[in-house]
Amino acid sequence: MNHEPWLAALTGELRRHGVGPDLTGHVVAEAATHLLDSGESPLRVFGAPETYARAVVDSLGGPDVRPPRRQPGPVRLAARGITKRYRGRTVLDRVDLTVRAGQIAAVVGANGAGKSTFLRICAGLLSPDAGTVEVHGTLGYCPQDGGTAEFLSADEHFVLIGAGRGLGRAEARRTGRAEASGLAWTPPRRTQARHLSGGTRQKLNLVLARLGEPDVLLLDEPYQGFDRGTYLDFWHEVWRWRDAGKAVVVVTHLLNQLDRVDVVLDLSGERAA
Amino acid sequence: MNQERRAQWLRGVLDLCVLALLSRGESYGYELSQALRAHGLGAVQGGTLYPVLLRLQRSGLLTAHWREGGTGPARKYYRISPAGSAALRAAAVDWSAFASSVGTILREEPKR
Amino acid sequence: MSRTLVVAEAALRELLRRRTVLVILLLMPLAFYLSRRGDHLGQSIRFVCLGLAWALSTAALFAGSAARGIEPRLRLSGYGSRHLVLGRLLALWTVGVLLSTPYFLLVLADQRDVRYGAIALIMALTVFVSVPFGLLLSAVLPRELEGTLVLLTVVGLQMVMNPAGSATRALPFWFSRELATYAVDHTDGGYLTRGLIHGLVFGVALTVLVVAAAAVRLRQRRHLRLAI
Repeated sequence: MNHEPWLAALTGELRRHGVGPDLTGHVVAEAATHLLDSGESPLRVFGAPETYARAVVDSLGGPDVRPPRRQPGPVRLAARGITKRYRGRTVLDRVDLTVRAGQIAAVVGANGAGKSTFLRICAGLLSPDAGTVEVHGTLGYCPQDGGTAEFLSADEHFVLIGAGRGLGRAEARRTGRAEASGLAWTPPRRTQARHLSGGTRQKLNLVLARLGEPDVLLLDEPYQGFDRGTYLDFWHEVWRWRDAGKAVVVVTHLLNQLDRVDVVLDLSGERAA
Repeated sequence: MNQERRAQWLRGVLDLCVLALLSRGESYGYELSQALRAHGLGAVQGGTLYPVLLRLQRSGLLTAHWREGGTGPARKYYRISPAGSAALRAAAVDWSAFASSVGTILREEPKR
Repeated sequence: MSRTLVVAEAALRELLRRRTVLVILLLMPLAFYLSRRGDHLGQSIRFVCLGLAWALSTAALFAGSAARGIEPRLRLSGYGSRHLVLGRLLALWTVGVLLSTPYFLLVLADQRDVRYGAIALIMALTVFVSVPFGLLLSAVLPRELEGTLVLLTVVGLQMVMNPAGSATRALPFWFSRELATYAVDHTDGGYLTRGLIHGLVFGVALTVLVVAAAAVRLRQRRHLRLAI
């Protein structure tokens, strides 16, 4: 009986739940031995991979043993007094945001509160009516949708964006694939972007924003279409980037991750003012 | 026996049973599950057993090491630690007292 | 330079993967050619050149619109607007040469007593002009439908208007009829000179406009200060 798919799923789930690689290896190897000895189906002995992973995590006394947060570094992004009006309606009214190296900022607010507009202004894709944005370092931007070329494969995207960042072909492909594996994704060799599912295309989008390791990452709800596991992977990656000293700005309407970010910019009240 | 009730009882004492079995010598997960079954506790699935072993190991009551088997694959062997033996002795006394109290209540003649 | 080539390569791959579009592009000038095959000797040559112009402008228009989504991101990833626009021009010019070569061979095989060199020149200028023309339309008119309608109007006018009238000189493919007259009717060199100048002027002007439009659209915004 082939237990590999179940064991692989368990590995993924343990990692998603923040279990380190060593312990994950032990737990999976022990489960594999047991299955070999008993000859029973993994679902019967251990249950679903996610359920078992959660039981393991519970027995550790809590998920996600994270290293202590380091002191934030120098200012990477400083937006001051950003004001934007659309047809007489003020969408953004003197919005300020400062993000330092090693910090995650969440931009929250209801639909139409101007979250994407604010991010596009920070990326320099849109001009504000007033205000300035200062960026210290290189910028990476992941749009909500679009941002990929329909008829190109993932590898061709890596080469194209990588060349802009000064990466050679082989290096760009290698870096892109390494980043993709962080999202539990192995880009297919030939498949063109138009044949990828919505969630997978967003993974590509996210990997492209990371190519060349920019100092400031602007992510506009990049997890649309992600399943739950990938969503958790995404946040693990964001924390990893933070720990590597990047400044990350994430537009989100989901509030359950806010305890894990350093700065919150709430745009909900903007229009009422 | 009512399966659900037995599972409920077992949840409270599985760690003690594991400690007791290991106090007679080191063992590994599958062997422990067989021993529990042989003692009439039914099938204790890996999904229940290993998290208990992990918790006992993390709290220092068990030590564990990997060893190549003569024929089979490498196995994770568990051994009771001195702290584990002490915990087992204390818990065994508590359990006897608890079980005898329950027994007394269950055996009492109903009053007329 | 290498960045321009990477953009050109990617754009070329994208174009070559739209198989259906390519087949239609390839057949369109043929339809034009065959429709006038039985008429006056030179008419089919004039029409095949206009067909090429139309096909290539349309291809450039759609390629330009399709690139709008990813260009801002490429700009952010370290490309200058000149890399992006020159890369795309290069790719489309290459496609243009690939597309017109079989037609030149067709004329070579099918027509007698014409100036083949002049016909090659018409095709080269057609490729040169129609690519920036289509790209400029896509830059000015964000919706493909609007751009297509403008293209339809321009090429339609080019066919029906009297080439001797001065107003037709304002149309981008006027040179094509002028040079065709030189090639087919063996007229004097004045036709050749006028056509050549017209084509070159339009080609250069349209290319400059396309580069300028991209520079404006993908400019570094004034509110953003980048300190590396």
